[in-house]
Amino acid sequence: MTDRIKEQLSTFLDGELPEPETALLLKRLERDDELRGALSRYSLIGAVLRGDGDVPAARQVAARVSAAIAREPVRVASLLRVPGREALMRSVAGLAVAAGVAFGAVMLVQQVETQSTGTEAVIAQAAEPPIVPVSDVAEPDQAPASSYVTPPAADAPGGLPQAELANYLVAHYGFASPLVRRSVGAGLISAPTGTTLAEETGEETRISQ
Amino acid sequence: MTRRGGIALALWLAAAPAVADSGEEWLKRMGDALSNASYVGEFITESTGRTERFSIIHRVRDGVVSERLVSLSGNGRELVRENDEVVVYLPDQKLAIIERRSGRSDLLGALPQFKGEMSSWYKVDYVGREASIFGPTAVVAVRPLDGYRFGYRLWIDLDSHMPVRSDLSDAAGSVVERLQFTKLEFDRHIPDSAFEPALDRGKLRWVRQSPQAEDATPAWRAAKVPPGFRLSMSGMQAVAGTSEPVSHLVYSDGLASVSVFIHAPTPGKAPIQGSGRSGVASAFSTVVDGHQVTLVGEVPPRTLKVIAKGLRPAFAAPPASTAARDRDN
Repeated sequence: MTDRIKEQLSTFLDGELPEPETALLLKRLERDDELRGALSRYSLIGAVLRGDGDVPAARQVAARVSAAIAREPVRVASLLRVPGREALMRSVAGLAVAAGVAFGAVMLVQQVETQSTGTEAVIAQAAEPPIVPVSDVAEPDQAPASSYVTPPAADAPGGLPQAELANYLVAHYGFASPLVRRSVGAGLISAPTGTTLAEETGEETRISQ
Repeated sequence: MTRRGGIALALWLAAAPAVADSGEEWLKRMGDALSNASYVGEFITESTGRTERFSIIHRVRDGVVSERLVSLSGNGRELVRENDEVVVYLPDQKLAIIERRSGRSDLLGALPQFKGEMSSWYKVDYVGREASIFGPTAVVAVRPLDGYRFGYRLWIDLDSHMPVRSDLSDAAGSVVERLQFTKLEFDRHIPDSAFEPALDRGKLRWVRQSPQAEDATPAWRAAKVPPGFRLSMSGMQAVAGTSEPVSHLVYSDGLASVSVFIHAPTPGKAPIQGSGRSGVASAFSTVVDGHQVTLVGEVPPRTLKVIAKGLRPAFAAPPASTAARDRDN
């Protein structure tokens, strides 16, 4: 990773990177694991240096990444309109990568709050893929978690992200009609592309009798 | 036998098959089978142009229901339920979601009876006999009487009383989802090991979604709901992806149900507005009074939208006529 890229990252985290460069940086983030790790580390270091380790600060990073994604009209348009499943999945994967970076920053700073380990240990973990904070990691027999983090999501602008839909469906599962509860469960564990996200057309695919 | 007695016997014989083949009676038999049978099988679902295969292991032992549902599409996803605890394993996302409801859900509930008020929303008909790969079946239709709920067509095995096929359809009769068993074997001695997920649980992130408190006076209410729907549960609920517990309301017409989740907007996150779909479940997200609202349910999208449109903070005084209607509902 060059010094120029590092400088771009730093400027991005300060919210001062011009939009054209932000777009390029996001594209690079999609394919560069090292760069994603660096973004998480930098955001964490910034929070630690500020002495606050505050989640809102990290959320600003998440918001910045989200806002940058939202400003990419071409990508958004392709997500909504390209009919080919492969193209759709590529776009979704790209968004998920960027969102993952953002959430990774949030999670890591939450660890600063919840763990008593030193900063170095936390920063070392920052190079790993996004992980849930300690408060979220609950073995089945442990007490309920006090906070939660969205799992890697394939966000669809204007629609309900698949990951969030799954979370709500799990909560609804116990209330589903006995006649279709099995179908609701099957929908939860079906292949990711089994969850369809639609624009506000109300159109649905029907099966002929 | 007297002449009068002979007529009575003839009438009884004529009526007996009709009683045995009534739709309600077959639904009752099916409900009993679903509540008591232990079995291993495979089924396919066809929805939104996709066909998927699943395996299922279901056991009822000493009143405890255990079930393991596995996707056979290669993603390794599973759903394992033991009574009121459900764990959804998503190894492709390195994630496991746990939900426990301690008797507040209908997980152990039986099928409703389609009598009284229910007959205003659904009509149950015995359609006739049809052959299936498992043998002859009794076909029963549960038809919705308006466009706010789905209907069901069930193929119930004559011997086991298990539904070997079910079609979910809208009020126009168009099939939304079809579920059909391809294998079904009854087994009273399924071992506990059969319910162990076939994945390394140590590599998963565990997220627990739990209801937190009953809420007798919910902070939100739907001032207008489709006919027959009533508030059946309200409480606070932890949901992954939200930093604070969300309000969870459940509206039901006795068969179909809708969950409404309401929470304050997440800082830095754009509000979500739009529709989604997962198998038979519709979803709708919108913003009401500055809050993010998401509705999911096995109902047509319009039902979700009607309920969403009527949502209000409970402290907002509704017009007198609306209050009366809501009270009557």
